[in-house]
Formats: sequence, C-alpha cells, structure tokens
Amino acid sequence: VRLSAIASALLPDGLRRRVALGWAAATLAALLGLSAVPGVSREEAAAMAAGSRDAAAWRDPGAPRPAGARAPALSDGVAAAAHGALAPIAGDARAWRAVTALLGAFLSSVLALLGWELAGLGGALLAPALFWLVPRHLHHALAATPALAAAALWTATALAWRRALSAGSRLSRGRWTATAALLYGLAGAVRPDGWALLAVLAIHALVVRRTAPRDGPAPRGDRVLLAMLVAGPLVAIAASPALWRDPLALVAAAWPRGAALDPGPLVAMALAVPVALLVAYAGGLLHGLLRLGRALRAREPAGDEALLVLLAVAPLALSLLAPGAAAEGLAPLLPAMPPLALLAARALDACARTLLPARAGRALAAIAVVVLYPALRASIHHFPHGAAAWNELAGGAPGAAARGLPRQAGGEAAAAALPEIAAHARPGARIWWAGVAPEAVGVYARDGRLRGDLALASSPEDADLVVATLDGGPRDAEYAGWSALRTARPVAAVYVDEVPLVFVYARAGGWR
Amino acid sequence: VRSAAASAVGRAGRSIASGAAWAWARRPPAPVVGALVFALSLAGASAAGIVFQARLASRLPSRLDWAAVAALLERDGRPGDAVVPSPAWAERVRALAPAGVPVIVAPDLAREDLVGVRRVWLVALPDAPGFSWKPELALLARSGVPDGPRRLGAAEVTLLALSAPALPLAFLPDRIAAAAVTVGDRGCSPEGATAFACPGAGAVRVAREVRDVGGAPRPCLVAAPNPEAGAPLALTFDAIPMGRAIRGHAAALGAGTAPVRLAVQIDGEEVGAVEIPAGAGWRQFQIDTTRHAGGIEPLAFVVTAAGPDAPPVCFDAVTLP
Repeated sequence: VRLSAIASALLPDGLRRRVALGWAAATLAALLGLSAVPGVSREEAAAMAAGSRDAAAWRDPGAPRPAGARAPALSDGVAAAAHGALAPIAGDARAWRAVTALLGAFLSSVLALLGWELAGLGGALLAPALFWLVPRHLHHALAATPALAAAALWTATALAWRRALSAGSRLSRGRWTATAALLYGLAGAVRPDGWALLAVLAIHALVVRRTAPRDGPAPRGDRVLLAMLVAGPLVAIAASPALWRDPLALVAAAWPRGAALDPGPLVAMALAVPVALLVAYAGGLLHGLLRLGRALRAREPAGDEALLVLLAVAPLALSLLAPGAAAEGLAPLLPAMPPLALLAARALDACARTLLPARAGRALAAIAVVVLYPALRASIHHFPHGAAAWNELAGGAPGAAARGLPRQAGGEAAAAALPEIAAHARPGARIWWAGVAPEAVGVYARDGRLRGDLALASSPEDADLVVATLDGGPRDAEYAGWSALRTARPVAAVYVDEVPLVFVYARAGGWR
Repeated sequence: VRSAAASAVGRAGRSIASGAAWAWARRPPAPVVGALVFALSLAGASAAGIVFQARLASRLPSRLDWAAVAALLERDGRPGDAVVPSPAWAERVRALAPAGVPVIVAPDLAREDLVGVRRVWLVALPDAPGFSWKPELALLARSGVPDGPRRLGAAEVTLLALSAPALPLAFLPDRIAAAAVTVGDRGCSPEGATAFACPGAGAVRVAREVRDVGGAPRPCLVAAPNPEAGAPLALTFDAIPMGRAIRGHAAALGAGTAPVRLAVQIDGEEVGAVEIPAGAGWRQFQIDTTRHAGGIEPLAFVVTAAGPDAPPVCFDAVTLP
C-alpha cells in the first residue's frame, strides 16, 4: 500500500503528464550520461570563468565587475554553484553542465506538454524528438553556455503566459501571472535577448484581443504584461548580484550591437539543421501561418497560432539585428527552435490525419520515422563534434569546409585528441594549446583525461607538443607552432569526414 | 491529309481538355493536396539525407587509399616536389607527405609563385562534397603534360611538372640568422636564430615567422616598424647572390592604420620601394636588378612607418636568376 502511495505521488495523473515526465527523465539521463564527453569551447570556458566570478558575487555583492567582462548571465553563476556542489561526485565537466542538463529535461517536459495540447499523444511524443535530433541542439545541451537555458526559459515563459491568459479563476490567473513574470525575469537574466519576449507577448496580446469573440470576455493580457514589465527586471537584478552595482548593464547588453542586418545565423540554420527536419520546420511554420491567416480573416480565436508563430519568428528577426552573431552558429536562434518543433509536430499530425484519417496513428508513426531517422543518424555520426555538423545542403562537414564555414565552436575538438596524447606524449612533456582555453585544459586535467605529468607551455618555443585546433579562422597560432617545432607534419589529428579539426605537432623526441 | 490531321489534332485537344476538366472536377480537396505535397517533400528530403549519409564515406578516401597515396609519394617524390591537396581542407596529406616534400595550400594557385618547386603532386578528392576543379586547372595552365591522374580509391594523384619553375638564388627569410638589423643608427640584438629585438619602443622587432595571410601559411619576415619618425628599421644581408630580379610579397598585419614603406637597397643604393597600405593582403612586387646580375651584393630592406599607428608587415623576397 505504501509503495503504491509513493508511486502515485511520484507519477503524475494522466498519460499527458506521464509522457512529459518520461521525456524529462530520458532527457536528463541522456544529457548527464553524455555530458562528460564533448570538449570545452572558448565560449563555454568564458562562461565558466564568468560563472565562478558571479558565484563569488553572491557571497560578496560589493565586489566590482572587471572591466570588459561579458554580459552577466544568470546561468553562468548557477552552473558554477552546481559545479561547486557536484564536482567531487560527478566529475568536473559533468558538474559544470548539470544545470544545462536539468534545463534540457525541463524543456523536454514543456515541449511534451505543449505538444500534447496541440496534437495529442503524437504531438507530445514528437515535439521533443523534433527538437533534440538536431546535432547542434544536442551540442548546446552539452555545454555550460546560456543558449539552451534561453530556449527553455523562452518556451516556459510562453507556456506560463498562455496559461495566465486562459486561466478561469482569479487565483489561477494570479499564480500563472506571477510564474510568467518570474520566468521572464530569469530569461532576461540568462541572455539579454530574453527581454524582447515582452514585445513578442505584447503583440500576441493585441492579436488575442482583436480575434476574441464579441459576445464573450476578452482575455486580459495587459495585467500580465504589466506584472512582467515590473517584476521581470527586479527578478533579474535580484538573481544577479553581479549587477547590483550596475543594473543598467542589463539594458546596455540588450541593446542591438549594430545597425547592419546580418543573415549569418539564418544561413547557419539553413545549413546546419538536417534537411528532413528543416522541411518539417518549414512546413510547420507555413501550416501555422495559414491557420493564423484563416483565423484572422474569420475573426476566430487565434491565440495559440499567433503565439507559436511569433515565438518562432521573433528570434530569427532578432538575430538579424545582432551583427557578429554568425560566429555563434545556431545559439542566437535557439529560442526559435522549440516553437518550430511544436509547429512541425502539429503539422505532421495534421498531415497524417488528412491523408489517412482511419489510420492516423500509424501514418504519423511512419512519417515520424521518415523525418527522424536521418537526423538521428546525423546526431550519432557527429557526436561529440556537434558544432561540426552541417547538413546535406552544405555538403556535410567537407562541403562546409570548402565554403569556409566554422568547423567547431572554439577549440572543443581538442578533447578528442587527449587519448592519443596520453598514449604517446613523452613523460613530462610541455604542451602549448593553440585555440584552446586554459579553463578547458583545467577541466580535462581535473577529469583525468589529460595525463597528470603533462605540463602547460607558456609559448610554442617552450613546448614539446603543440595542439592546434582548426575552426575555419586564422591559423597564426598553429603556424607559430610550426616555426617553433620546425615541422609542419602532424603526429596526430582529429577528423570529421576527413575534415581536420585538430592537429598535434611534436618536437623531435616529444612523441613516442 | 491536312484537314484529316487538323481534325485529329482538334479531337485530341478536345479529349485532353475534357480529361483535364474531368480530373479538375474530381481533384482532391486542397488540404489533401497540401498534406500530400508536405509528405512527399518530407520523404524526398529524408531520402536525400539517407543517401547523402550513406554515400559520404565512399566519396572520401579510406585509410587504405591514404596509405596508397603515402606509398606513391614516398616512392616517387624527390627534392623540388611539392604536394597540393584539393580541396584545400584535405590536409591529412600533411601527415603522409615525405619529409622533403612540402605541402602547399593556397587560395589561388594561378597566382602563387611556388618558389623552389619543379613538380607538383596534386592530391585530389574529386568525389568530395564542394570539390572544385579550379586548382587543377590553375596548375595545368602552368605545366606540361600531366602524369596521371592515378586513381587510388577515392583519391586521385596527378603529377605536374611546372613549365617555368621559379628557382631562386636566395630565399631571404631563411637567411635572417646572417642578417644585421638596425633601427635608426642603433643595432638590434638577436633573439635566438630567427628574431631580433630592437632598443627603444618595445614592439620594434624583426622575426622569421609563418603567418596566415590571405588564407595560406606564408613564411616571411615580420617587421614591426619603429613608431618614431626618422628612425627606419633596416634589415641588411651581407652577401646575397643577385640575378635579374628581386621578387617579393608583402602584407600588412594587425589593426594599424598608417601605411608602411618597404624600400630595397643594393649596396646602399635604393633600387625600388613598395608602399603597403593598412589592411593590404599578400601583394607581389618585383624589382629589376639586371645590372647587378651575377654579383654577390649586400642587400637591405628598410621599413618606414608613415605614422605612429602603423601595423607590422610580413614580407618575403627571393633573388631570381
């Protein structure tokens, strides 16, 4: 009797919630299981350094932020705090990435819940899969960077906003309003573009008001918006002691960095998402736009359509205003991907129901296999080099290299060379890491992936080995290694589909 | 006959029109058509993805293919040879090329000097995504009848003998150890065998380095000019075999804005100069030295900045017979 009571307390009522919980558990297990494998990019290393600083600011809020420090990100500090608690039991890299894994699980459950509301069981099962089987998404979920946190909080804020608008009782409305304001503040504290959510939701409120039935009460979004406007920044500042001395840094960081339009992230999206998923996303967005247009013309309620379409389109538009975002790959667009996955899931469900109404479930399963199989294969093939994953339109990693597209996010592929280095480097060898952040080398050493007797060299001239990462940018650091070691012939390398990501060079006698 | 043919055509046209009208009247509803198009697009994209992934491995060389390439280069390579990978990213060949055979990666082989190279081994991956024939065409245009291509699995190896190889009398960056460097009238002290540090402003130095200029590794002399006016940076080589020309290249490095002047002096007499604007890429210059041909002369390069915010420059030079 007790066991069943415990089980019923742990397992939520209803298939909908169980599917959401199942997705969350599976995602958490997968992300935690895989999180120790990928290397640490320069951006992740910067997040680690900033996180350690921000975590210290919680203990000493009066400490000034160093000049030129990157925009404060709440996720950095939380990741550092989790690292402090978990590193002794989970290992260094896994401890840094535990919060991202948790947010990934949260995002899976939100996607499953929203997918159910849009397309039933099929939608709940498909929506998270349509999101996770993009190799780049998995790459962001296995890094302690703010990208996945931003995507999860955008989606969760939208869910809370939707619940606040549709809540029946005043108590429920108040609860969801407070949740939306809290999540909005966290979204802004994680990444500055989170503040744009308010504008997106304001436009949505106008659409909802315009299409509300004339004979019924119109949903009141203005109070929710007001709560978000007032409480959001307060939540962000309260959660980020690093900002207490300079709260306007939030506004400054959110300001567009230039006026020129930069299509880079959109091109990256078109060339990085597996083509079958890209078609599913495009079809889902088109389906949503058609339904929205039909609802607006007929003056029928169009809240859900407008919300999903706005959430999918807003990050794409924002990325155009952020020059330099091209170098960040899909990270600026990541908040658009969960709504696109939801729209795609609903479009696939609608497609199956339209083509085979009597056997819609089987038809949906067949379509899901068709769409997801190539993406699953690409994810497995590219792991742990998710940032090297380019789709069929780009010609895969070789085609992307021929076009000069980035081969990795920033030095993380060096982790794949560590087993060779451990096997062949002479005892006590000094290594100069070109393009690899010192924090990343520290993580590898603490996790035991880098042999304990190997030392850091301060310059290529002092080194026995040079580990050079190739990211598609200038290679001066690698060539400095050639000059110092008097060789351009690598002793080891890491390739993805023959495209080199890492070269290891050795001084005579440095490699056994 | 004409009227019979016309009536037959008319009947056929009418039957096609009536068939089309019949089909149009019984067309599936728009949602079904939309769903069908969507499903077919998904199936097509999925099939394309699966085929691409399945074929990719066979479009790229296997370990065995690379071993065959390495064996061929080891057996037939000789001094004066170079290896050019195509596409340029196919740099696995760096680990396979024999020790005396350099690997050359350049964005535009038609304009590359290929100094000291008599024969080129073009190692191509013709089935690789994004492959271009441009490097092969550029090399064919400046060579005789090619030997090959020899197919080694997914790799193709072609040997091209250059029609007019640039065989220098001296490649000056490699002679830096024997050079003297001065800034104004003050001498600079050597830092190891490949660099000089100058007194005064800390950044003034000259070093033999390999720099990434225009997407290719360039062995060159990197000179950070003196920010003080009237104190040019001079790099003097005592005894250089002279030919009919000095050919060199120069590029500005870094973010400085002031142009840099690079003058060439033979035995104290200026024989030519080149202005290197800020942001300039890898530019070629050539100076006629016919009247010095056959002699051994002191040769100096004098670097002068037009302002305090001048970038370092990367330059090389060879004397050609």
